[in-house]
Amino acid sequence: MPLPPCILLVDDDQTTNYLNRLLLKRLAVADELLTAQNGLEALQMLQAHHQRPELNEPVLVFLDVKMPVMDGFEFLQAYEQLPAAHKAETVIVMLTTSLHPQDVERMQQLKIAGFLNKPLTKEKVDGVLLQHFQHEMPVE
Amino acid sequence: MTDRGPRSAAALAQENEALRHRLQEAEDLITAIRTGTIDALAVQAPEGPRIFTLEGADQSYRNLIEQMSEGALLLSQNGTVLYCNACLAGMVKAPLQSMMGVSFHDFVPLDYQEYWLELLSTAWTGKSKGEMPLQATDGHQHPVALALNVLVFNQTQVLAVIVTDVSEQREISAIRARVSEQNTLLERQQETLRTQAQAQRAAEQTAAETSRILEGMPHIAWTASPAGLNTYLNRRWFEYTGHHAQADPAHSFSALIHPDDLPGAAQRWREAIASGEALEIECRIRSATGEFRWMLGRALPSRNEQGEIIQWIGAYTDIHEHKVTQARVAEAQEQLRASNQQLLRINRDLDNFIYTASHDLKAPINNIEGLLSALLSELPAELVKGAAIQPLVGMMQGSVDRFKRTIEHLTEVTRLQKEHEQPQGLIELEPVVRAVMLDLAPLLESSGAQLDVEVQHCAPVSFSEKNLRSVVYNLLSNALKYRHPARPLRVRVRCHATAEYQVLTVQDNGLGLQVAGNAKLFAMFQRFHDHVEGSGIGLYMVKRIMENAGGRVEVESTVGTGATFSVYFRR
Repeated sequence: MPLPPCILLVDDDQTTNYLNRLLLKRLAVADELLTAQNGLEALQMLQAHHQRPELNEPVLVFLDVKMPVMDGFEFLQAYEQLPAAHKAETVIVMLTTSLHPQDVERMQQLKIAGFLNKPLTKEKVDGVLLQHFQHEMPVE
Repeated sequence: MTDRGPRSAAALAQENEALRHRLQEAEDLITAIRTGTIDALAVQAPEGPRIFTLEGADQSYRNLIEQMSEGALLLSQNGTVLYCNACLAGMVKAPLQSMMGVSFHDFVPLDYQEYWLELLSTAWTGKSKGEMPLQATDGHQHPVALALNVLVFNQTQVLAVIVTDVSEQREISAIRARVSEQNTLLERQQETLRTQAQAQRAAEQTAAETSRILEGMPHIAWTASPAGLNTYLNRRWFEYTGHHAQADPAHSFSALIHPDDLPGAAQRWREAIASGEALEIECRIRSATGEFRWMLGRALPSRNEQGEIIQWIGAYTDIHEHKVTQARVAEAQEQLRASNQQLLRINRDLDNFIYTASHDLKAPINNIEGLLSALLSELPAELVKGAAIQPLVGMMQGSVDRFKRTIEHLTEVTRLQKEHEQPQGLIELEPVVRAVMLDLAPLLESSGAQLDVEVQHCAPVSFSEKNLRSVVYNLLSNALKYRHPARPLRVRVRCHATAEYQVLTVQDNGLGLQVAGNAKLFAMFQRFHDHVEGSGIGLYMVKRIMENAGGRVEVESTVGTGATFSVYFRR
């Protein structure tokens, strides 16, 4: 599988988005990096990009758990209920700081590609790309 | 007549006629004699009429026999009636004239024929007596007594039979039987009356006894009829309620039972009366002073020999103080439960707060770390490595690390709460201590510690294995960390049992610590030494784990000499 042309970062913390963008840009793993500040924004963005072929469609989403308006869990629920025609095969990875046993248990039951503890690092990105896109990072 | 020679037919006919006439006369005569119409015969003899009186035909005897109320008859040897009086004819309801010449057997019922023949045969040897019924011509039977005697009559033996109707005798004996029956009945009734009187006396005695006992009781006592109506109340009741026994002997409970308790009490009482099962109620009853005091009311049915309830005997016991104390205890327990609930809530809130705080703190510290590294990568390398910047960068990174570690520990504490609910098992100490020693192998080696473990004889403890490991890990790593720099470290791990606990002790010859007034020792984030890395969370965790499991942790120490930590596992 080729490198994901487009990655979506969903987090209400602008600094986190900034740092993650910085990391991914430096790693040069995507043509385009999109950001959304909550689940609802992300959902609308995914639908909009799916309907307009001229736009890159995100195939990898890094999703925060705790967000205002629509949190990570609610986003996943809403996304799952979208008709298949309205979404592409998207790899969703949850990024979390919560170790609350209740949250952990909930995440383990979700239909997601995986969940990672924050902060996002080069190693974690490598792992995701290797697992879901069979992409090996060039040794620096 | 044959010697007279042959005669003419006419003469024969004439003679015949004359003989027939004489025969007729003779028959008439016999009849007359038989029926007693005549007593004497005047018979024409050659020497003139001659008077013959019938032998034994004494008129007065015949009258006597004829008028006897007993039947009398003469029987020939073959049982033919030669003579019978009017009475006997009346008994068998046959005309007198038809009786002569008939067989007496005809008047003996079939089932008595044999008896009759026996009677007869005995009689012919002299005399006999018997009783049997006679069957009249209309079929009715009469009980009769028979007396049979042999008489010689005209040189011929005949049987004289006196027949007595015993029907009346029977009636008399029936009356006698009835009278005797009546008498027996009367006797029996009198006996019953006597028994009843006796029983009543006994009952009265028992009642008097019961009442004496009930009066003497320190409780309120009462009796009631099987229908539930009060029949007696002892003095205590009147003393308690202040009512007068004379004025109001059958005072109703209902007026004095607390209105809130009355419906329940009345219902229970109705149920007890209906089922015959023991009654037990608690209710408040108004005393003479107007105070309602709690009473325990109990009653049992008293039964007679037939198992019928004859009365209810009950008592009221004052349980006011007990009840009030009980209520107070219940209230205190309720308060305790409420404050426990509140504490649990607070603990939960605290856990949630720590989670939230650690989460909320993690995001900015991660960002600070990320931004710091982004900043450093933007700066020229020679500047970052410069003497002015590098220590600053190091300190910043150190602070960030410290911050992150603290958050980690906080999270660990709350995780401990959840592990409290872990399943417990019976855990051997020895393997756990060995496993922890393996975990601590690098530290053990670098410290040069001499570890002396002797716990294999200890009984297993009922504990969560993970928690036990955590406790042992903390105690051992503390001993290794806070060793005395001037002497080689020696650690002794031992165990012993008390009545209630299995005690595990970890004794070292390290730095020791100030124990007196060290409430802070087991407090969160409390550190006693700052020369080595420590989070100040270890002993807090040990204490929490032990106390959660119903045990405790204790420490003995002299500064500069060493410390002994003891953990108590409840047996």
